[in-house]
Amino acid sequence: MSIIYMHQVSKYFGQEKALDGLDVEIGSGEIYGFLGPSGAGKTTTIHLLTGQMPITDGEAEVFGKPALQMKRRENLQRIGIMTEASGLYQRLTVQENLALFAKLYGVKQPKKRIDEVLELTGMQGDHKKLASKLSKGMTQRVLFARAVLHEPELLFLDEPTAALDPASSSRIHRGLKEMRERGTTIFLTTHDMQEAETLCDRVAFLDDGRVQLSDKPKLLRQAYADGTISVELKDGSAYSLQQTKDDAAKLADWIGSGRVAEVKTNLPTLGDIFIQTTGRELV
Amino acid sequence: MNFSIVRTYSIAAKDMKELSKNMFVLTTAVMPFLFALMFGRQDDIPLVVHYLVINLTFASVTCFVQTALIAEEKEKKTLRSLMLSPATSTEILTGKSAVAAALTAATLVICMQITGYVPEGVYVYAGLAISLVFYLMVGLLLGLLARTLVEASVLILPVIFILGMGGLFIEFFQQYDIAAWLEYLPNFQLEYIAAAVGRGGGLADVSGYLLVITGWTVAAAVLTVAVYRKRTFIEE
Ligand SMILES: Nc1ncnc2c1ncn2[C@@H]1O[C@H](COP(=O)(O)OP(=O)(O)OP(=O)(O)O)[C@@H](O)[C@H]1O
Ligand SMILES: [Mg+2]
Repeated sequence: MSIIYMHQVSKYFGQEKALDGLDVEIGSGEIYGFLGPSGAGKTTTIHLLTGQMPITDGEAEVFGKPALQMKRRENLQRIGIMTEASGLYQRLTVQENLALFAKLYGVKQPKKRIDEVLELTGMQGDHKKLASKLSKGMTQRVLFARAVLHEPELLFLDEPTAALDPASSSRIHRGLKEMRERGTTIFLTTHDMQEAETLCDRVAFLDDGRVQLSDKPKLLRQAYADGTISVELKDGSAYSLQQTKDDAAKLADWIGSGRVAEVKTNLPTLGDIFIQTTGRELV
Repeated sequence: MNFSIVRTYSIAAKDMKELSKNMFVLTTAVMPFLFALMFGRQDDIPLVVHYLVINLTFASVTCFVQTALIAEEKEKKTLRSLMLSPATSTEILTGKSAVAAALTAATLVICMQITGYVPEGVYVYAGLAISLVFYLMVGLLLGLLARTLVEASVLILPVIFILGMGGLFIEFFQQYDIAAWLEYLPNFQLEYIAAAVGRGGGLADVSGYLLVITGWTVAAAVLTVAVYRKRTFIEE
C-alpha cells in the first residue's frame, strides 16, 4: 500500500492555480524528494497532505485516508512536520522546547529520546540555551529534532537543510537514512541538487503545477546522459569519447599502455535535466 | 474525545514559564494593583471603585493574558506546531485559559485585600464567574485576530478603556443618550449585581443582569468558535 497517494490534485488560491493535475505515489520507507523552482507549489503540497488546507479537486490520501483527516489526533501522532512556518518558544530553552513536545506526543522515556535527537542534530552541548539565543542553523536543527522526536512513520520536511552548514547537513542526512532503515517514509523538498542525488530514493520535478518527471536520481541521470565518456590521461590531457568502435579501440590502446588516469561517463546533474525538460532553472 | 490532563497541564506550565519572562505582558497586568493602591486605600470606598478594580483585572489580566499568549504563539509560529501535535484545540485553549484564570484569581484576591472588598452572596460570585468566561472568550478572539504581540496590545486598548475603566468615564457620558446603552455592557451589569445584592435584593432583582452577562458570553463564545474553526486551516 502506498503511504501517500495523490491523483490529479489541483489547488487554486482564488483564481490563481498553484497545483494542477498533480500525481504522486510514495511507498513505505521511501525518501521522496520534491524539486521545483520557487513558487512551484512544494510547500503547498505539504500543507495539503498534512490536512492544513483543503484540496480544490482530485484525490489526496495519506495512510489510505483522505488528507484532511490528518488533522485528527490519531493521525497527527503518526506524522512529523517541519516547514518554514515552524517555530520555537523563544523564552524556553532547547531542552524545555523538546520536553514540551515529548509530553504532547506521549514519548516514552522522554529524557533518553531527547538526548538521542540532540545527538542526532549535534545540539548536545546547547540544550540549555534559550531558543531566542540560537543561530538560524541551530534553530533549524532543533526544529528538525522536534519533528522526529516521536519517531513518526511519515515525515514531511520543507527544505530541511536550507540554512545548514555542510557538516550539519550530512549529520541530518545520516539521521534520515537511519530512519529510512527503520521504515520511516520521508517526503522532503529541496533546492539542493546534491542532496536530492545522494539522499533521495526517488525525485520528482514539479513545474507548472504538476510532476513533469519522476524517478530514481541515478536512473534519470543515466537516461539523460549524452553517452560520452571523459578520459584523462596521466600526462594531463583530456578527451571526450563517443561510444563507438573507433573510440573503444582508442581507449583500449590507452589502457593497454597504462596511460589512463581517470575514466567516467558524463552524467548530467538533476539541475541540467530540469532545464532540459521544463526549460526552466531549478533554483 | 479523550481529553488529556497531562497535555493540558504541560501547555499551561509552558505558558506560565514563558509569561513569567514576558515583561511586556507583566507590566500591563500590574495595572489593577496600581488602581487598587491609588483609589482603594481610603475608608468608605464606593462600590464603583471596587468594581473599577475588578473590571480592570478582567480586562488587563484575564483578557490580555489570554490575548497575548495566543498572539505570541502566532507571531513566533508555535501555534501551528501545537495544532499539528496531538494536543487538541480544547486542550490548548483550556491550558491557556487556566493560566489566565489563575492569574486573575491571584490578582483579584490581592486587590481585594488592598481595597478591603469582600464579594458577598452567590449571585455576585455567579456574576464574577460568568464574567471570567466572557473575558477569556474575548481574549481568545482578540488573540486569534492579532498577528503579533504588539497588535494584541493595541486590540486590548478598547477593552481596557471601555470594559476595564468604563466606571471612570460613565459620568462623562451621563448627559448623552448613549449612556443608557453603555449600561448594558457586562462590566456595568456586574456592578449592578453587587449593588442589588447590597440593597438586599434577591434573584428577581439580579436575574436580568446575570442574563445580560450570560448573553454577552454566549455571543463572544459563538464568534470565537467561528473564527477558531477558520484558523485551524492556513489562511488562503
Ligand atoms: N496561503 C496561501 N494563500 C494564497 N496563495 C498561496 C498560499 N500559499 C501558497 N500560495 C501560492 O501558491 C504558489 C505556490 O507556493 P508554494 O509556497 O507552495 O511554493 P514553493 O514551491 O514552496 O516555493 P519555495 O521554493 O519558494 O518555497 C505561489 O504562487 C504562492 O503565492
Ligand atoms: Mg516552499
